[in-house]
Amino acid sequence: IQPPEKPLQSEEWNRLRENFQLPEIFEEVMLNSMIRCNSPIDVAKSLLTHVAKRNGDIAYNVLVKYLTLCVQQGQVSEICDVYDIMKARFKILEIGAYNLFIKGLSNSDQWKMALTLLEEAKKMMIPSRTSYESCIKAASCHQEMKLAFELYHEMLAKDVVPTLDVLQSFFGFSRGMNGAELQKELFGILFYLRDNQIYPHKTFMQSIKLWFESIPGRKWRGRLTNIKDSGQCPVCNRQLEDSNLTEEEYNNLSERIIRDVIHGTDTFRKTSPQEFEAFQTFVENQLPFDIVIDGLNVSHIKPRKMHCENLLDAINCLAKDNVRLLVLGRKHMLINSSNWKREIMKEMQTKADFFFAENISEDDAFLLYATLRSGKHCKFVTRDFLRDHKACLSDSLTRHLFRKWQRGHQIVLKAMFFSVFSQQPAFQYDCVVQTTGDTWHIPYKDVFEEKYSYRVPRKWLCIQQK
Amino acid sequence: MQSANMLLKKIVRSSVLPVAAQHGMKRDLFPLSRTLSLSLCLKQDNSCKPSEKLDLDAWKKVMKSGLQEEVSETVSEPQELSGLAAARETLEMWRLAGKSVPENVSEEQLKTFMECPSKSAKKKYLKYLYLKELYKKNDKRKMEEKRERRLEAQEQTSKTDEIQKSPFLCLWASTMDKAYNWRAAQSMIFGQPLVFDMSYEKDMSVREVANAVKQLVQSEGCNRRAVDPFHIHFCNFKDDSLYHKEFLKHYKEAWGKLLITVTEQCYTEIFPKDKLIYLTADSPKVMKTFDHDKIYIVGSMVDKSIKTGVSLARAKRLGLETAALPLDKYLLWNTGAKNLTLDQMMHILLTLKDTADWKKALEFVPKRKYCGFVNKPVSELKKTLDLVNTLKIGKRREELQKQFAKNYPKKYKLK
Repeated sequence: IQPPEKPLQSEEWNRLRENFQLPEIFEEVMLNSMIRCNSPIDVAKSLLTHVAKRNGDIAYNVLVKYLTLCVQQGQVSEICDVYDIMKARFKILEIGAYNLFIKGLSNSDQWKMALTLLEEAKKMMIPSRTSYESCIKAASCHQEMKLAFELYHEMLAKDVVPTLDVLQSFFGFSRGMNGAELQKELFGILFYLRDNQIYPHKTFMQSIKLWFESIPGRKWRGRLTNIKDSGQCPVCNRQLEDSNLTEEEYNNLSERIIRDVIHGTDTFRKTSPQEFEAFQTFVENQLPFDIVIDGLNVSHIKPRKMHCENLLDAINCLAKDNVRLLVLGRKHMLINSSNWKREIMKEMQTKADFFFAENISEDDAFLLYATLRSGKHCKFVTRDFLRDHKACLSDSLTRHLFRKWQRGHQIVLKAMFFSVFSQQPAFQYDCVVQTTGDTWHIPYKDVFEEKYSYRVPRKWLCIQQK
Repeated sequence: MQSANMLLKKIVRSSVLPVAAQHGMKRDLFPLSRTLSLSLCLKQDNSCKPSEKLDLDAWKKVMKSGLQEEVSETVSEPQELSGLAAARETLEMWRLAGKSVPENVSEEQLKTFMECPSKSAKKKYLKYLYLKELYKKNDKRKMEEKRERRLEAQEQTSKTDEIQKSPFLCLWASTMDKAYNWRAAQSMIFGQPLVFDMSYEKDMSVREVANAVKQLVQSEGCNRRAVDPFHIHFCNFKDDSLYHKEFLKHYKEAWGKLLITVTEQCYTEIFPKDKLIYLTADSPKVMKTFDHDKIYIVGSMVDKSIKTGVSLARAKRLGLETAALPLDKYLLWNTGAKNLTLDQMMHILLTLKDTADWKKALEFVPKRKYCGFVNKPVSELKKTLDLVNTLKIGKRREELQKQFAKNYPKKYKLK
């Protein structure tokens, strides 16, 4: 229904209400459409007056709808009035109303009241992240950076994830401000990006750059650049961090892969204890490998070719310079069939080591184990993103480690025209926000949305001190 | 008001107004085309405007005035509320805000609500309770309507008809029960065993266990009504488990009188291993025929989050044979997981046992999950599909090669 354009008299509202199919929810529907059309607030007021006259009371949800309209139009005095009325009329308010109040008041000179409301809301439930964010923005807008950072840390402590928008606002509002404390906090945000492998988008990157350049007396200078495949920054000629894990991280990751991915809740789900043991002894006897290949995955690269031919091509392509290959497969590959010719299988077995798992076992888990056991130099080949295995890892820290390790060690084969393979090599350098003290390197995304979570940005911001 | 009117008139006369009117002033308020009628219009406005002006904030006064008495009461009340009461209060506010929240919440439900780990879990639980309440209310309303109709019908018949005579006493329900129980008792001696594996409690949430038990109750019911019932075994069943509690909720005192075998033992201890077949959707083997000499095992597990391979792992550990229903062979699968509910499994197995007709048995697979039955085996269909695809791809390849030749003519010549 279309809301009227000017305030109506009670009789006129009554007429509209009677013509409506469901008179009980007339007010709600009307206010909803007012919110949608952003009608003048006086119209809504006249509706409320009509309701108050008829019933002597206004229902909570109608008040909340009215409040939404006030917040949408930034009618601060109305918001305060509604707050007084609701506070007096109802014993407690629910979190949705608090969120609206906070959102509405934080943009005004009444922003301190938004903070007290946030405190009230905390007593009931964890406030939403938009509430936190509007308070943080209000505080930093009024140069109360300390307060803003307190709220930010509180937010993180409650596992409420901040949006890039609010992180960006910290850099935006601190531009030109001095102070060791402030600088430490903002570096803290950059480390937060690093730890969670978050890449800022272009405008956020601009804010970071401008903030750095605005610090008085430090002479930071930022330049946009592309990093070479070797991992060298063309601007400052520094080498980026390499993609290898530390010894401790590496051991931690291999342990967790065995515990969470291979064994999980029940070893029988992916393999069986006997089979895993057999595989372990096999790997220990043959160590170390240079490349581990997911045989079945690779054999499906070109759908119109025989599976074993695909695999042979891949092995030929990778078996240069005395690298030691391990191919993981399943037992059914050994049975002579239209896709798996016995002669070709024999030929392949002279060029690489093979391990055949049971047909109902998961070979991916073995792939991970063999690669990790062989050491840091070992790479693996599969087109699989291994998402389901990553999901088996129980905490986010290990998942990040896994992603990092995967970026540095996974080779993807691509089928080109005729029988040429091209490999997408593993990354030499680690793609995260990083610093050496007098330089910062920050990868950023060109567009706001992240289209593919596995794709890492190629563009960087290089900041160095002159 | 008078001065305001004067001002308006001045504005109307001045040349600014046409511009203002273009910027969206309402024509019906200021009919500019007829300046003569304007004064009249303003006079009319005069009669109704003051009340309208005053009206706008009247609701605030109403709200505040209504409060005076209430406020004096509530202020004296101590504000501190215990956890449960506060939660109840929050729920009430959510309900007022128009969220899906049930009207009546029991103490126990409130406690589960408070134990929910996250906001979304809380909302989900409340919605579940809300829908449950709604269905209950609707059922009650329908029952009442039905009763009224019956009473009316009775009044009418009592006026017209006399009591009809019949050679049988009307004892349908209880005699049927007796007949069913007799058959079930027979099955306990001579019937083919069917095992429900009750060892999945750890893999399920409380809700899932409740659902599983509901499905088991239904399967037991349809087994009892069957012409040739199975001898149902609940194996790995622990007393005081969640399963047990839920069963007691459903059956109450009838739980002890059920004509089924409930045991703490594993099926491998009761039956010879080579006769057992574990039915699981993850099995690589497909069931071809129903074997009357084998003992089929069904895992009593409801799996709402997808945990693949749990029951297959169990069968692997014990070294049992496994099988899956030949769903792909007979049905053109549409959507949904291949795991079926326990009562559907029961229906399918009973029908297979009676008729050995896969088509009839698989009628019990929910209609939304498949498009239709397959007359030819799916493998043949697939072959034709593959043929069509290869033809298409072959054509595409030729096109690609042509394009390649067009783009790199020199290279081709060099070759």
